[in-house]
Amino acid sequence: MSFDLTPGEDLRQILDAAQAMLDSHYPVARLQEGMGGDDLDPLEDFGAFALALPEDAGGAGFSIVEEAHLHVALGRHLVGPGALASAIARRLDAGVTACIGVASNGTWTLVDPEGADHAVIRVDGGFGLSPVTDPKTTAPLGAGLPVAKMARTGTNRPVDADLARLLAAAQLLGVATGARDLAVDYAKIREQFGQPIGTFQAIKHHTANMTLGIEMVSALLDMAAIALCDGHPDAGFQVAALTRLAPRVALDNARTGIQIHGGIGFSAEANAHLFLKQAHVLAQFIGPADLLSLPAPLAPYGDNA
Amino acid sequence: MNAMQLDMTAEDEAFRAQARDWLIHNRPTAPAPREGQASRTYATDWLAKCAAAGWSGLAWPKEYGGHGLSPARLLIWYEEYARARAPSPLDCTFVALNHAGPTVFARGTEAQKAFHLPRILDGRSIWCQGFSEPGAGSDLASLKTTGRIEGDHLVVNGQKIWSSYADIADYQELLIRTDPGSKRHKGLSWVICDMTLPGITVRPIRNMAGVTHFAEVFYDDVRIPLDAVVGEVNDGWSVAMTTLAFERRTAAMALQLDLSVKVEELIALARPTPGTATAERLADLRAEAAGVRAMTYRTALRDPDTPFDGSLVRLTFAELAQRIERAAMDVLGPDGLTDSHWTHGYLESYSETIAGGTAEIQRNIIAERILGLPREARL
Ligand SMILES: Cc1cc2nc3c(=O)[nH]c(=O)nc-3n(C[C@H](O)[C@H](O)[C@H](O)COP(=O)(O)OP(=O)(O)OC[C@H]3O[C@@H](n4cnc5c(N)ncnc54)[C@H](O)[C@@H]3O)c2cc1C
Repeated sequence: MSFDLTPGEDLRQILDAAQAMLDSHYPVARLQEGMGGDDLDPLEDFGAFALALPEDAGGAGFSIVEEAHLHVALGRHLVGPGALASAIARRLDAGVTACIGVASNGTWTLVDPEGADHAVIRVDGGFGLSPVTDPKTTAPLGAGLPVAKMARTGTNRPVDADLARLLAAAQLLGVATGARDLAVDYAKIREQFGQPIGTFQAIKHHTANMTLGIEMVSALLDMAAIALCDGHPDAGFQVAALTRLAPRVALDNARTGIQIHGGIGFSAEANAHLFLKQAHVLAQFIGPADLLSLPAPLAPYGDNA
Repeated sequence: MNAMQLDMTAEDEAFRAQARDWLIHNRPTAPAPREGQASRTYATDWLAKCAAAGWSGLAWPKEYGGHGLSPARLLIWYEEYARARAPSPLDCTFVALNHAGPTVFARGTEAQKAFHLPRILDGRSIWCQGFSEPGAGSDLASLKTTGRIEGDHLVVNGQKIWSSYADIADYQELLIRTDPGSKRHKGLSWVICDMTLPGITVRPIRNMAGVTHFAEVFYDDVRIPLDAVVGEVNDGWSVAMTTLAFERRTAAMALQLDLSVKVEELIALARPTPGTATAERLADLRAEAAGVRAMTYRTALRDPDTPFDGSLVRLTFAELAQRIERAAMDVLGPDGLTDSHWTHGYLESYSETIAGGTAEIQRNIIAERILGLPREARL
C-alpha cells in the first residue's frame, strides 16, 4: 500500500527487542545514582547506532523511521544524550565517541562530555561535528546531566540538521511519554480523601493534556520521518513543525508530571524531575526552527487558481 | 524498508488533479447565506452539483450509492476541498451525510435504506439530530422524551434542544425512551422523525454569532409509525453509537484538514515581521495545524483494527480552531469589531468545545478510557 500508517511488523520487533534491552540496562531507577555517564555499550551491541546505515556500511539497513521510533524508546528511559550524539556522528565518522553541545557567544556548552572526543554542536542555524578540546567542567542544572564549557574551535563538519532535529524530537517525545506514564501510574496508587488521586478531574485533565501533546508530536514524528526517509518536498516543513512542538510538549509534560506527584515530585528522590532536566537538555540541543520561512504543503489555491 | 508510507501512486496523483480541477471550476463564488431557507438552498444546490458530477457520498459504500473511496483518497479529496475553499461541509447537509445516512445503511431496514439514502446523497432531504434535552446534555443517557407504543405507532411526548437546522430539516434522528421504567442507556430507541408530522413545534434559537442555527423541538402526542425505528426498539443507544467511528474517521477529516489552510490564510492576512511576537504565535499555530493534519492522517491511514480513540484528535482540533480564530481577532485589530468572515468564524468557534461532547467530557474520556484512571461515580 502506498498510503499506510500502520506500524509494520519489523518496527514492532525492533521496539520489543529494544524494550527488553532498555529494561535490563537502562531502567530509569539507575539515575538515582546521578545522571550522566551512561555506558553505551549495550546500545552499541544492540546495533542502535547502525540501525539505519546501509548493510554494506555495516548497518542493519532499516530506515530513519525505525530509528526515530527507537529514539522515542531511548527518550523514555532517559538514556544519556551521548546516544543521540553517536547516532548522528556515526553517519559522518564511524570512529568517534560523541557528546552533544550548544554554541553560544563563542562558547560551547557540552552535555555529559566524559569520554567524548567529538561533539555534535548546534551552531547558528545548523549543526556540526567538532573535536572536543580542553573542556572545563561546570556545575550542572540541579543534579542534572554533567556539563562542560569549551572555547569554540574552527573545525566543524556539517551535520544534516533535519536528521539531528528529527532524532532529538523523537527523544523529546520519549521524555514526554515517560513523564506522563510515571504520573499516570502514580495517580492510580496515591490515595487522598480516601480515593486514588486519579479519580479527581483536576488530575485526570492534567493527564489528558499530557496525552494530547504526546499524540500530536507522535503523529507529526511519523509524518516527518517518512517525509525525510522518502525525500518528500515537505520534509523540511514537517521537521520544523516538529521542532517547535516537541520541546514544548516535553517541558509541559515534565512540569505536569512533577505537579501530579505533589511533595515527592519536588524531591530529588522521585524520578519526576529527571524528565524535566532531560527535556531542558534536549530542548537546548534541538533549538529553534524557522517554520514561517518554509512553504506550507496545504496552502489555499486563491481566486485565480 | 519501513512499512509506513505516504507515497502517492500515479492514479492518486491523477485523482488529486481531477478533484482539484473540478473543485476550482465548480465551487460557488458567492458566500454562503448564514441561516434559514437561503442557507438550505445554497447547501443543497452545491450538494446536488457534487452528486451530479459524482462527488457525493465519497466515503459511503458503493452498494448504497456511494463511492467507497479509500481513506487515502478521502484525505486527498478533503485536502483539495480545503485548498479550493469550497463551502464548509459543516452545513445543513452534515448530519444526513455523516450521521443519519451511515446509521441507516448500517442498521436500517431495506425499505428505510431504499427511501432515505438516495435522497440524502443528492441533497433532497435534510436531517437534524434530536438527542440533547434541557436536562440531558453531557449526560445524554438521562434523557426523558418518551415514546409510548400504541399499536403500530409510537406516540412521542417531550422536548429536545440545540437541534441544529431543525427549522429547515425534513427528518430528525430522534433518540427517545421507549421502555417506560428504563434507566440510562437501556430502553432507548433511535427513530426517524418526519418533521412535518402533527404535534411537532420547532422554536428556533439564535446563537451568540447572531445566527438562527439550532432550535428547541417540542413533541405533543406525535404519532410516528413503528417502521421508522432504526434497529430494535429499546436498542437505540447502540444504534446511536454505531456511526461514531464513521464520523470520527471520515466526517471530522474535512474540518481538521481545513485548519491547515485557515492558518495559511491567517498568515497571509497578518504578514508578520520575522522575530515579532505575532510571527512566533503564527509559527506555533502553523506547527499545531501540521500536528492536527498528522493526527488526521494517522487516524485515517492506520489499519482499522488498530485501537483508536477519536477524542484525541477531535479535542485537539477544537481547541486549536479556537486559538486560530482568536489570533485572527488580534491580527484584525479594530476590524475585529466589524462583521466579516473572520469575525463570524471567531464567534462560531466557541461551539467547537461544546457541541458533540464538551472538552471537559472529552478529557474525562481520555483519562478514563485511554489512561485507565478510575471512573468517577455516576448516578
Ligand atoms: C452549536 C451547537 C450545535 C449543537 N447541535 C446539536 C444537535 O444538532 N443535536 C443535539 O442533540 N445536540 C446538539 N448540541 C448540543 C450539545 O451536544 C450539548 O450542548 C453538549 O452535549 C453539552 O450539553 P449541555 O449544553 O447540556 O451542557 P452541560 O452538560 O450542562 O454542561 C455544562 C458545563 O458542565 C460541564 N460538565 C458537565 N458534566 C461534566 C462532567 N461529568 N465532568 C466535568 N464537567 C462536566 C460541561 O463540560 C460544561 O462546561 C449542539 C450544541 C451546540 C453548541
